[in-house]
Amino acid sequence: MTTTLAPAPPAAPPSPKAALAPEGGLRRRLVLRLVALVALYLLWELTARVMHNPTFIPSPAAVWDQLITTSTTHDGVRGYSGHLLIEHLGVSLRRIVIGSAIGVAGGLLIGVLLGTVSWLRVVAEPVITFVRALPPLAYFSLFIIWFGIDETPKLWLLSIAALPPVAVATAAAVHNAPTGLVEAARALGASRRQSIRDVVLPNALPEIFTGVRLAVGVAYSSVVAAETINGVPGIGGMIRDAQRYSQTDVVVLGLFAIGLSGLLIDALLLTAENRLIPWRGRA
Amino acid sequence: MSSADAITVDAVTHSYGDVTAVGPIDLTVPQGEFLVLVGASGCGKSTLLRLIAGFEQPTSGTVRTAGTAPVPGRGAGLVFQQPRLFPWKTVGGNIALALKYAGQPVTAERVDDLLARVGLHDVAHRRVWQISGGQQQRVAIARALAVDNPLLLLDEPFAALDALTREKLQDDLRQVSASTGRTSVFVTHSVDEAVFLGSRVVVLTPRPGTIALDLPIDLPRTGIAADELRGLPEFAALRAEVGHAIRDRVTV
Repeated sequence: MTTTLAPAPPAAPPSPKAALAPEGGLRRRLVLRLVALVALYLLWELTARVMHNPTFIPSPAAVWDQLITTSTTHDGVRGYSGHLLIEHLGVSLRRIVIGSAIGVAGGLLIGVLLGTVSWLRVVAEPVITFVRALPPLAYFSLFIIWFGIDETPKLWLLSIAALPPVAVATAAAVHNAPTGLVEAARALGASRRQSIRDVVLPNALPEIFTGVRLAVGVAYSSVVAAETINGVPGIGGMIRDAQRYSQTDVVVLGLFAIGLSGLLIDALLLTAENRLIPWRGRA
Repeated sequence: MSSADAITVDAVTHSYGDVTAVGPIDLTVPQGEFLVLVGASGCGKSTLLRLIAGFEQPTSGTVRTAGTAPVPGRGAGLVFQQPRLFPWKTVGGNIALALKYAGQPVTAERVDDLLARVGLHDVAHRRVWQISGGQQQRVAIARALAVDNPLLLLDEPFAALDALTREKLQDDLRQVSASTGRTSVFVTHSVDEAVFLGSRVVVLTPRPGTIALDLPIDLPRTGIAADELRGLPEFAALRAEVGHAIRDRVTV
């Protein structure tokens, strides 16, 4: 008699991701988030009905109506303050992107200098911490005096606000470059410049990216401050106008527009990070 | 001192603050020799290697490689205890970087060729963390071989590996060394490894490290299998002699 053994199914190598998130973990998280969202919505709806004071707490339906109104032209009025909601948001996003880009570029440059030139670090570190401690609105007045009330002071504000997180993260990562890897490069004949470009900077990338995400966050939270003066079009300007006329539903709509687009941009940055820095947490 | 000497260490001492780690040591390494420095932990053998590599400067005395003061990255390939590969590069990218620094043309053939010399195939596209610790150390050796340096310096390169991988790598290194014939200095605390790999074994005393025993290893370098070599009565005798020299000096 012969017995045939069925071939054993190939054992799947346990991946670290599977260990962290067991089967169905993703769906469970999605359901959990959905339930939380619905609960929040119900709480909002309930509070709005109980309070019965739309200037204090506008109902979800009122905010939804404003979304429609500000996104369309009605009775010859285009959106809100003459611009559609998407245009307000677009102008603000443009400011955030340009401001962050300048701030990140400057922060990188300053960070690398601070991380490599020790006397410069001694001199400049307190200055960076000083600027970091200032609320952006505080130095905005100075920019208004210097640059007027158009686009320039707004971009300056966002750039200066976005710079310190990147500079600090870059300086720390460059300064604390692992001697083992730098030595390995030098043993292969790398010059000082080559070892900075090929070892110190790539090694600092994960920290730099964290700094970039922080910088974009700071630029985001500063854009409303930057748009308090002559901010229309702009989501901050829209909120400020709505506040003046006690249009709470428009204010809440503006908050949603900023918050949701912020979530989206952070998700994009996270995806970029996973693509660009696959070695994060593995070395 | 003759011009054929690859390394000369002349009355060298090295101190970290008040602690003298090494010396005084006099040592001459002729070209083509495979010198193994062996001793207990903390005897300064790694420091001596770093002096020869040019990463440390002697407190007194002089170190010369090929007649000049050693400078890191010039004239000596280095393998450390940890692979020290760059995780943002692929395996092949790590080798390519070494070729670039050496001013040599970077081609896929050259990279594959170097990896093949340390027994690695089809790994050039892999990420560093996707290969085993033993394979990573092979890549580190291939990287050090990428530059046609007259010197190869190895600082306990197999210490962090499991016994099986370690023996395989020892065997492969012995063959690579025999085929390239370049002067090598290998640091270890394993007596067996020292006698197996070296054409000469120098035993260092505990801190401050000085030379306790300087022993030529007259065992066949080629045409002998690892097991066969380890089975030779001469191998056992040399191992006993080196082992004694270390134990005599160590107070436990």
